[in-house]
This record gives sequence, structure tokens and C-alpha cells, in this order.
Amino acid sequence: MRRHLPADALARDDRFVRWTLEDRISDPRAAARRAVSSSGGPDGSGGSGPTAKNRVGFNPSRPGAPDQARALMHGIFVGELQALEGAGRTCFDFDTGSGTDEVPLELKLDMARQCWDEARHCEISVKLGEWMGTEIGEFAENIFLFEAACNPDPVLRLVGVNRALEGLAIDVFNTMKEFGDSAGDPFLSFCEDWMLADEVTHVKMGSDWLRRLTEKDPARRDRALEFQRVVDRLFSTGGFRGEEKDSPIKLARKFREMAGFSTEEIDVVAEEARQARAEMTDKVAGP
Amino acid sequence: MAKIVVSPERFSLVFFDAERIAELTGQVADKIGLPDDLELRIEVDERMPLGRTKISSLDPVTLSVEGGAFEDAKRPRHLSDRSVQDVLGRMLLRVKDRLDPNFENAPADENLSLQQLVAWTVYSEGRCERLGLPTQKQRWLYHFRNRHGFSDVADAAFDRLWNADALTWSDIDLICAETQRARDELANPGVR
Repeated sequence: MRRHLPADALARDDRFVRWTLEDRISDPRAAARRAVSSSGGPDGSGGSGPTAKNRVGFNPSRPGAPDQARALMHGIFVGELQALEGAGRTCFDFDTGSGTDEVPLELKLDMARQCWDEARHCEISVKLGEWMGTEIGEFAENIFLFEAACNPDPVLRLVGVNRALEGLAIDVFNTMKEFGDSAGDPFLSFCEDWMLADEVTHVKMGSDWLRRLTEKDPARRDRALEFQRVVDRLFSTGGFRGEEKDSPIKLARKFREMAGFSTEEIDVVAEEARQARAEMTDKVAGP
Repeated sequence: MAKIVVSPERFSLVFFDAERIAELTGQVADKIGLPDDLELRIEVDERMPLGRTKISSLDPVTLSVEGGAFEDAKRPRHLSDRSVQDVLGRMLLRVKDRLDPNFENAPADENLSLQQLVAWTVYSEGRCERLGLPTQKQRWLYHFRNRHGFSDVADAAFDRLWNADALTWSDIDLICAETQRARDELANPGVR
């Protein structure tokens, strides 16, 4: 079996359609929406702004909130698929050993346990999708999560998957749990809470292994943390995840601390999100 | 067939075809049974990838639609026949209701509560299904539960709305009051 599988080689059946970040960024409607931000939307509900999807937030009082939750639930499902593929790849792609291109057996065992969790999360997400009225493949899949799991350095891959991707999962699950609570949806809240507990464990594994594997190699740790910053900025998707009042996905500080993030590390993620949001706003505003 | 005008006539930011939208609108209007002499205006804001819609006027009937409402979720910027039929089905059924004296006491759209709005939508979607128009029953059940409660009372109310063909506004309002009582009872058990 091939090692180090590129993101575009992921196996999917014909229900799935991919959409890349490039597709999103090159969408000419982004620039056109600039004018709307000052003139208001067609239903007089106020300006949608250059980052309309970011500004609406996850407000249950909005008529479209259940549909927003449905779309995000589908995003969670494909994210779980990619997390499963990422953790599985880390088990398989590296030989067991102590070299810089090898990983300890115990790390592989942790990744194998994570695969078990992610497979269960996939099934839960499919069930939740059905509960919310969503079909598999109803929305396009973005594979940028798996792209963070393609680094040939096992430590960088570990931070990409277990600190950045799974950290994002903590933020998303916490947001969905709060949405379920506010709507009174008993299954959504319950399932998200249980999956959130797993994600905290996965991030904690990443935090612990990062420190153990780079204990005597501070330069490698710095490279890994720099890689994580890059990935975290990417995962902030122009401020969709962040600490601003209108960020749809809020940074879950409490759960990140439980997962081994220091306050300073969470501050870095928050700052990356702010910068990603500013960049997106500048990009949409144009020259 | 109703007289249909789609604007803009040409789209520059999305791959939409105004003639196709007009054709689909005509088919949906015929299935719903709107009068042949009715003038229908469909105003699409192609700048917006979101999906908000609004009945801007009843005379002439004018529907304002953000481009995302007609978009293929799998192929951004491309028109989805299914989305057009789905969105226009429920909008035109609400237009038909609004033109019916049995709905003359319905509040204006902007004054509908979330519960009233989704109850009316479910009533429309059920009729769409029986007319052979695309719909997603489980999706609207989820919407309905979000607004009317995750309860047996709410589910029974949903079934009545979905399966009905000749409700009045008062019927819909009564159903909303019924689920409100169930939510109140759940929040304050034993208090009446």
C-alpha cells in the first residue's frame, strides 16, 4: 500500500464532490458583495458585508439557523472522515523507531485508538445528519483538513492533525453543543458533548507527544509550532473560527486548556484567527 | 402560464440562465395553480451566495431571492433546477395563500414569529411534495422541532400541517398555540 497519500487521492464514492479553498477565494461574488455591505440586503435585514457568512453567526433566532447547523454537521462528518484518514496514515506511513522519520510504537497505538474514535464519530455524524435532514454528499467537501495531515515529518503531521485539526474540532463541537442546548435538541447536545470529550483526549495526546518527541530538539519543536500556526490560520477560514463577537465558531478556551494548550498557545491561535479575518476582509475589499 | 419576468436578464457572477429560471417558474406556477394572468417577477441578487428570500410585493407578485437560494450546493455558482423548484414551490404557495381570503388575517411576513413562519412553510412543503415538487421532509421536521419543540405534540402538529391541503391562517395559528402550550407545560410542569 502506498505511503504518504496526497489529499487528492482520498477515496470517495460518487456522492461526494470536492470544493477547494482556491474555488472559494476565486469566487467573484466576494468582491461584488462589498457594495451590499453599505446598502443593505434585499430583504432590508441589514448589510451582509464582505464576509457575510462570517457575520451571521450561529444565532438560533435567525430563521436559517437550523440549515446552518445542517451544513456545519455535514462539514463535521467529512472532517471526521479526514481525521480518521489522517490518524490512520500516521500509523501506517512511518516505521517504528526513534529516528526523526520514525515514530514510537506507543504513538502508533494512540493513533490507532484515535482511528477507533474517529470511525465512531463518522457514524454518529451520519446519524445526526439524518436526524437533521441531510444526505451524505449534500454539500461539497473541502479537503483542506486532510492536507494538514500530509506532512512527511511525523512531528509536524502530529501537530497538524492532533493540535490544529482536532483543536478546530473542539471549537466546532462546543459551538454545536451550545446550538443544540439552545434549540432543545436532546440528541445533538448529547452526541456533541461525548465527541467533544474524545477530541479533548486527541488534542491532549498531540500536546503530550509533541513535548516528548521534541524534548531534546527545540529547533524541531519550533518548526512544529510554526507549522501549527500556519495550519491554525488556514483553519480559521478568514475568521469563521475566532474570538470575535460574531465569529460563528468560537475558540473553546476551557476545553483547549483541558487538552494541554497553555494560555499563551491559545492566545496565538486567537491572534492567527484575527489576522486571518483581517486578511479576508482586505481581500474582499480589494485594492 | 403566468407572465414571468426574471431579473437580471443576464448573470455575470454566477452561471445562471434567466430563461431557465423563467421556464422553471412557469412550471411550478402551473402545478400550484396560479392564475394565467398573474404577473410574476423574480429578482435574483447574484452577488449573494446566501439563501434569503422574500415576497416583496403581491401586486405585481415579486419574489426577491439571494443567488445562493438557487445555487447547487455541490457546484458553487451553478444553477440547480431542484433548488429553484424547491424555493419557488414554497414561496408561490405562500403567495397563493396570501391571495386567498382565508389568509387575510395572516400577519405580514416580517411580523410572523419563527413558529408561525416554519408552520406555514411546513404546510407549503407538504403540498409541494404531493404536487411532485422536490422537498426534504426530514429537513423541515428538524426546522419545525427547533421552533416548536422536540416533543410528541410538536411531531403530531408537524404531521397535520404536512398532510393538510386546505388550511386557513386561523388553523395554522391554532396549531402554533397548541405547541406553545406544550412548551410552556414542559418549562413549568403542573402550572396552567
